[in-house]
Amino acid sequence: MSGYSFDTETAKERLRSELGRAGRTLRFVLQDNAAKAGFAVIVAFGFLGVFGPYLAPYHPIEDTLQQGGSMMRLQSPGGKALLGTTSFGKDVLSQFLAGARPTLIVGLFGGVGTGILGFLVGLTSGYFGGRVDEFLMRLTDLTFALPFLPMALVILSFVTPSVWLITAVLVVFLWKMPARVIRSEVMTVKERTFVKSARARGAGHTRTMFLHVAPNVLGIGFLYTAYAVGWSIVAGASLAFLGFGDPTTTSWGRMLQQVFRSGAIRTAWWWVLPPAVGIGAVTTGVFLVGRAFEEIVNPDLQTEQE
Amino acid sequence: MSFRRFLIKRTAIAALLTLIAVSVIFATLRLLPADPFSALVASGSLTPSEVEQIRAMYGLDDPIYVQYFRYIQNLFTFEFGISLTQQRPVGEIIIPALVNTLVLLLPALVVTAIVSSLAGMYAGWNRGSWFEQSSIVATTVFRATPIFVTGIFLLIIFSYGLGWLPAFGMRSPLANPQGYVETFASVDFLKHYILPFTATVLFYSGDFLMLARNSVVERKGSEFLMLHRAKGLSEMEQLGRAGRNSLLPLVTYFALRTGMLFQGVITLEVVFAWPGIGRALVQAILNQDYPTVQAAVFIMALAVIVMNLTADLAYAKLDPTVEAGDV
Repeated sequence: MSGYSFDTETAKERLRSELGRAGRTLRFVLQDNAAKAGFAVIVAFGFLGVFGPYLAPYHPIEDTLQQGGSMMRLQSPGGKALLGTTSFGKDVLSQFLAGARPTLIVGLFGGVGTGILGFLVGLTSGYFGGRVDEFLMRLTDLTFALPFLPMALVILSFVTPSVWLITAVLVVFLWKMPARVIRSEVMTVKERTFVKSARARGAGHTRTMFLHVAPNVLGIGFLYTAYAVGWSIVAGASLAFLGFGDPTTTSWGRMLQQVFRSGAIRTAWWWVLPPAVGIGAVTTGVFLVGRAFEEIVNPDLQTEQE
Repeated sequence: MSFRRFLIKRTAIAALLTLIAVSVIFATLRLLPADPFSALVASGSLTPSEVEQIRAMYGLDDPIYVQYFRYIQNLFTFEFGISLTQQRPVGEIIIPALVNTLVLLLPALVVTAIVSSLAGMYAGWNRGSWFEQSSIVATTVFRATPIFVTGIFLLIIFSYGLGWLPAFGMRSPLANPQGYVETFASVDFLKHYILPFTATVLFYSGDFLMLARNSVVERKGSEFLMLHRAKGLSEMEQLGRAGRNSLLPLVTYFALRTGMLFQGVITLEVVFAWPGIGRALVQAILNQDYPTVQAAVFIMALAVIVMNLTADLAYAKLDPTVEAGDV
């Protein structure tokens, strides 16, 4: 593992071996049936996030469905509206298809942002130790102490929420989770011989940190990024459900807020189920894949494999 | 580091964190561009001169640092001020709401911790069994699904579909109980209690199950268990020994979870219209009722800090290796 030199050949070689390893890991994860199902859900969700709005038969907000001369309010599924209509005469199927995208954006960017920021903080903190570590860890303590959802609600009640603003708020509050775990992993890795020998051979801090220590905690980093995607989707949906989501887009959380607020939740199961099942399925999918991946990354769980 | 020094250091850090956290809350509420009174003036319910009077009454015309010190002083004496919209002390709004939340959550958390830890230990012991596989998948589903979505499913099945249980609030609208005993010890309350309780238990079961299962799996191959096996202890007795050794992460996790409970259940309380602190916070935010918002967020932050401290101390007490090492 020690001493990567940096000409292009070895870089290519390394990239190839990393990709090969990633492929093997994925295959291994997918041996697990639950993870297989989860992966299928994620792929379907990604597809909806990208193409959903184009597949929608109507515009989710602008089009109001009519029948005869009157608005189709709370129609049960069938005919013109395959999944029925809302109490405002909108097509539920179209809202469901369009609603995947904001959910995907918040989840993906919130999760990846959280993963990257947490990884960098944990790496720096664990690698340097001492005052740097003390400062960064007290900062994570502070973000742990500030209750996430209440603070997010307060902030979003004063400014007009947009999908990107919500994503940013999530990253600001969620990075602490991966940071802590990465830090403790880094602290064990940096005591290993190859790190010390790299330092002894004159590698600088940045180089040692990113080339020697970081690759060994990358697995955990990916795992927590995956979980962070799940947390972000949950948090984004919760905010939208409470009425603090982006008012200009149709997301699954916002659909649930509207059906709940309007009181139609008592009867209009066709309006409730698509977004509820959508959110539940995609977060579950992410966590099931994460769970299987964790078995690989966490060495403690492997030793006793029978 | 001795336990005493560890205790002092951790407590000092917790106190400092509390101070910083409430300062951040203060700054957030003051820096954000909104005035709770402008809406009242715009809606015609207050005249500008009345607003002047109220501003003076709340001390909002004092310099910001005076306001800050008064705010800090008030919070630490649990003096939360007067609600802007309800014309009564914030304490009268927040404290009963806090009690309602605790009544809902603490029993749910204790039940979850016990039941799913035991199930997790059993699962870890029987690694690869049908029980392990299905319990992990089932609890992961509930852990991953947002708690309000689980709540909505329970509502549409058991309240609106089957009509077995009430969907709304903590007591039926006609009940007018006096005092805590009359409020909480009744069949009517129990009926309202079942669904939110179930949602909470389902949501938190996954974490305890996985923690217990993982630590049993980690310890299963360890030497002390081989010794017990050699001594001829039964499977169940061995599991008992392994379980005792798995308590540490469970205890600390229980403390951490308790601290984070309040914020976790805001959506749950909204779904079931449970008159708890989370719902009170959401309403206060929508009404721009600053003093109530401040008090609710303060209580939530304090809960996290105190329970984190408890978890740290429990960890140090139960695991002697922590004391010796770096904290």
